Amino acid sequence: MVDLFFQFLSNTGYFLADYRHVIMVIVGCVFLYLGTAKKYEPLLLVPIGFGILVGNVPFFKGFGIGIYESNSVLHYLYFGVTTGVYPSIVFLGLGAMTDFSSLLANPKLMLLGAAAQMGIYFTLLGALFFGFLPKEAASIAIIGGADGPTSIFLTAKLAPHLIGPIAIAAYSYMALIPVIQPPIMRLLTSRKERLIRMPPGRDVSKKELIIFPVVGVLLCCYLAPTALPLLGMLFLGNFLKECGVVNRLAGTAQSAIIDTATIFLGFTVGASTQGDVFLTPKALGIFCLGAVAFSIATASGVIFGKIMNLFLKEKINPLLGAAGVSAVPGSAREVHVMGLKEDPTNFLLMHGMACNSSGVIGSAICAGILWSFFI
Amino acid sequence: MAVVGATTVFLGLVALSFVISQIHKILELWENRGKKKARPEKPLEDKGPAFTEKRLPTASELCSIYRPLVEQLKEPFQLIHLFEKTKEMNLPHPHLSIKCLQEADVLVAQGDGTFIWDKQKAN
Repeated sequence: MVDLFFQFLSNTGYFLADYRHVIMVIVGCVFLYLGTAKKYEPLLLVPIGFGILVGNVPFFKGFGIGIYESNSVLHYLYFGVTTGVYPSIVFLGLGAMTDFSSLLANPKLMLLGAAAQMGIYFTLLGALFFGFLPKEAASIAIIGGADGPTSIFLTAKLAPHLIGPIAIAAYSYMALIPVIQPPIMRLLTSRKERLIRMPPGRDVSKKELIIFPVVGVLLCCYLAPTALPLLGMLFLGNFLKECGVVNRLAGTAQSAIIDTATIFLGFTVGASTQGDVFLTPKALGIFCLGAVAFSIATASGVIFGKIMNLFLKEKINPLLGAAGVSAVPGSAREVHVMGLKEDPTNFLLMHGMACNSSGVIGSAICAGILWSFFI
Repeated sequence: MAVVGATTVFLGLVALSFVISQIHKILELWENRGKKKARPEKPLEDKGPAFTEKRLPTASELCSIYRPLVEQLKEPFQLIHLFEKTKEMNLPHPHLSIKCLQEADVLVAQGDGTFIWDKQKAN
């Protein structure tokens, strides 16, 4: 009986845990704290944080419990991540939720979304320099797009063993936008530039909104067919929303479908961060390079906004460049808040959303291009 | 690899922004083309009372415009559904028009928030 008791004790998580599990449990709690108390991207951080807790309960290998063990329930749920199914579904919902009218009213803001993607390519070079394999470097670089689903999608295709650290890094930096972006924006702009007012956009007709997803999918996916799983779904979702005849489908895509995918995506990505698999020097390198990628992306957008002002008669507020990363709507909100701090009557949110939505398209194209380099 | 990737994504988004900046112009051209063709066939002076934004039609004119819409609704109907139909047809001044039809007793309230179309009055 005593033997049985000790045998039971030796099978418990308390007995099997080591310092790595403890570290990851703390990380999970930090995510939950940031999501719930600080309300930093709670829709993402809460499922991921809880997933980290679940993923770091130690257990005896071979019983089909863990996410990396075939036939386990978690493994089946994780299938949606490793195959890129969840990111595609998230993009469908994202498309159904996105209003592209501000982008259509001011198409030149799309260039800021393109400029912010430069962070991806600078980081690609950095990761290669630090000795990461090309496929790993490409997966790390996409963190600069500040787009969690896109990062997961590309990593699942190129470096599946890095999904955990890359997804956690991508979502962490998305959640830390209020911490990372403002100092960069402030550093790179003068007060006079931050005070620039954006003219109100023209009215966009319903027909334009309906035509846009059709033009978008054809133009972007012909350019980078590998972006089809993401952009095809994004523009499908947007067409459902705008065409006005399938409101039920659009409503489901922008609520139940995206919510379900987000729960499973966040939870399984969190659960994939088992301490023994996750805490490696490589993961640390990914976190550092991810921060660099995100910062360069923000800076590229702002600097490009300033460059555009050299040629434009009607100046644009260079803060908007920071919203060119595709962290919707966090970065647009941050731009708006900074604009309001300088001038409480300067509303940049809608213009920021235009840059944001072009950033989503841009980062998906980048992912497609990077994937196509390694096919 | 980085240069090719960066250039491609930039050119792609530049092309997309150029195309979307032209959509409204193309639509405008398309719509104006229709108008230009219509003008020589039917001069303005030949037209009857036009349903324009400047002039609200009379009750009898409104009856002829709204009758086909009402026929699509099941009586008794709620005004919201009639508004939706006017929106679909892009009819100007739906509120004023419906008010006018109510005042002319063509649209008759049933007392429970629904209305019917009085065919006799409409004729």
